[in-house]
Amino acid sequence: MTTPRLALFIAALFWPLQLLWAAASIEGRVELPKARTAPVMNRRYEIVSKGGVLSTNPPLAVVYLEGVFPAPTNPALLQVTQKDMAFVPALLPIQAGTRVEFPNLDDTYHNIFSYSPAKRFDLGRYRPDERPIPSLVFDVPGLVVLRCDIHEHMRGLILVLATPYFVLTDPAGYYQLSGLPPGKYVLKAWVDSKTVLEHPVELQDGATLHLDFP
Amino acid sequence: MVAMMLVVFGVTALALFFAQRNMAENVKRDLQREFQSELASLHAMRDARHAALAELCRMLARKPRIHAALEDNALDLLYPSARDELRDILSPDDAARQEPGTGTLHARFYRFLDGEGNVMAPPTGQGAGQLSSAEEMQLDLKTLPPIPQTGYLAQSDQGLGETVEEVIAMPIVSTETGAPIAALVLGFKPMDLNGGRAETGIRSGIWQGGRLYLSAFDEVTRKALADRVTRDMLSAEHAEKSLTVEIDGSPHLMFYKLLNPASLFPHAYEVCVYPLADSISRQRRLFWQFTAVGGLLLLGAFVASRYLSIQLAVPVEKLAIDSEENRTQRQRAEVALELTHEELQRSARFSADASHQLKTPVTVLRAGLEELLAGEKLTPEAREEMSTLVHQTFRLTSIIEDLLLLSRMDAGRLQLDFSPVNLTQLLEAWLDDLGALPDAIDLKVETDYPPALFILGEKRYTMIILQNLMENARKYNRAGGSIRVAARAEEQWGVLVIGNTGRPIPPEARENIFQRFHRGGAGENVPGHGLGLNLARELARLHGGDLRLARSDGEWTEFEVRFRLVGPVSASTRTST
Repeated sequence: MTTPRLALFIAALFWPLQLLWAAASIEGRVELPKARTAPVMNRRYEIVSKGGVLSTNPPLAVVYLEGVFPAPTNPALLQVTQKDMAFVPALLPIQAGTRVEFPNLDDTYHNIFSYSPAKRFDLGRYRPDERPIPSLVFDVPGLVVLRCDIHEHMRGLILVLATPYFVLTDPAGYYQLSGLPPGKYVLKAWVDSKTVLEHPVELQDGATLHLDFP
Repeated sequence: MVAMMLVVFGVTALALFFAQRNMAENVKRDLQREFQSELASLHAMRDARHAALAELCRMLARKPRIHAALEDNALDLLYPSARDELRDILSPDDAARQEPGTGTLHARFYRFLDGEGNVMAPPTGQGAGQLSSAEEMQLDLKTLPPIPQTGYLAQSDQGLGETVEEVIAMPIVSTETGAPIAALVLGFKPMDLNGGRAETGIRSGIWQGGRLYLSAFDEVTRKALADRVTRDMLSAEHAEKSLTVEIDGSPHLMFYKLLNPASLFPHAYEVCVYPLADSISRQRRLFWQFTAVGGLLLLGAFVASRYLSIQLAVPVEKLAIDSEENRTQRQRAEVALELTHEELQRSARFSADASHQLKTPVTVLRAGLEELLAGEKLTPEAREEMSTLVHQTFRLTSIIEDLLLLSRMDAGRLQLDFSPVNLTQLLEAWLDDLGALPDAIDLKVETDYPPALFILGEKRYTMIILQNLMENARKYNRAGGSIRVAARAEEQWGVLVIGNTGRPIPPEARENIFQRFHRGGAGENVPGHGLGLNLARELARLHGGDLRLARSDGEWTEFEVRFRLVGPVSASTRTST
């Protein structure tokens, strides 16, 4: 099971339990850009850039509910591994305040750094057996571009969100968010580094809203 | 000879002239080659360094941190990141000044150009290298170059005078867009090609914007050279050109070459100056050496040609003299031969004439005397006297006949009609006559010869030989002496030996006894006329034999005559003996 799915699973596991009495759902489809190459089974996702715009390939989108929510009391621990000279997962949406570990699963040094305004850091060079596994807490919302100082082609994205309600679409763009608190929000879909689609929504108890982007 | 010498002289001079010209060409070519090779090595060094610098810049422009700073909206981290990346090649100012020559790959400053090609000002105190705002302005390209650009940045450096720095502007191409998003500009100290290479004589500098940066020359010279290059470039723009210039009164070869064609930076030229004074003096020295050697050679050639011509002339002259002498000699010989021939003819004719002219009166005289003798009115004394006179006429006839014979032989007119002659018979006949001679003295005659001995001869002439020898043996004998006559066959010869007692012929006279009219030591009372032995030898030789004096000592004198034997007859003779 891949990490994003694990994250989804965890999210799906906990939030509905807490908000069982007042759960709303949104489902729909995000119109994704066309894949650059024909989809291949088990193809790993990678970060690509076109015209200075970062996105995953094959395309994925992150759908999240924007609003003011309390910070997580029990922050989750997630991982972005470096394997086969690539970041896995290529795109990781997290709630602000989440700690992310960066285990090196390659046989070589990696030096993860980011100059992104949301999180500037430099983990320095380390080998696979580095203990403890270097980790960081991302507490400022925004897109963090992960780079490796040694391997200039490596790119990874961490989308730090201020909300606990987010989900990755499947390769076809379908998404489903459930256990959402009722109220007026803006539902956003992050498609690439320059494209965030949004739609105001009004959620009601027990109701399932259907919303397609755009 | 003079012509030959002139030719040799001319050829040598011509050869020298061409050799000198060839040499001068060679020197010029060598100089060009030397200059070119120095220039080439200079360029090779420069190119290698430039390639290394460009590669360095390319590597830097790919650095993820620099890309991250530019692409991830972190421009504030651009210069610090670059400083980190450039740590190894960015030399602190003081270090570079302390150790000139080291760190040719050390950058002195770096700047980034933004998307519009203008310098992004570095944050203060970031160690990007000091540049005045004027200098920074020189780096503004107003556009982003798609390929690396090379330029030269003029700097007025306090204390060091004006210098230029080599600048490479390397585009930073976004890994995301593939388009240049910025450029990294690195400034390097130009390679100091003059330091440490002073002995090679080549001076290299950079011309830009009408100014020449060449530390080896003073301000005035630099200005003059810069103006010269500027002027030359104004007339026609060349990528490279070489020309001759005067520096401090001495000629120099100047070469300039465009360093950064198709660059967004202002054009800069490499200017190389090479002093010609050395080569000119070398050429002049060579010329004088050549002239000296040539002169010596010419002198040598002159001497050689003279010697040669003399050597060649000697045999020719000798030949001329020889032929002259030969001709003279031949003419003389011809004349002498002619004379001799004439004399011979004359003498032969004279002898014949003389003998005929003499014989006739003698015969007339004898006939007259014999007629008188036959008269009866004579007294016995008168008769005796008359007889003597008649005898004298016989002697005269004999002399005349001998002379006639000799003259015929001298003229080569006597041909013997050979036939077998019995020598024994002739000897016996003569011995018979001997006894009948009136003045016969008491002589004992010994004989020793075979009954017949046939030789080749003509009887009457063989007889003359025998007569003459026998006569001598009798005449030169002493009273009571003896004569020995011996003949034998000896191989192909019939040998006749006639010996007689009597006074021997003195050794000093023996050479002359066979000459005409020589009578040895014979007294006047001995009859004879000195022709006998001569005649006998000549005749013996005509017979194919010879006559010689065999011995003459004590009281014995012996003559030996050899005749050719008649083969079969002599054989029969031998058997009969």
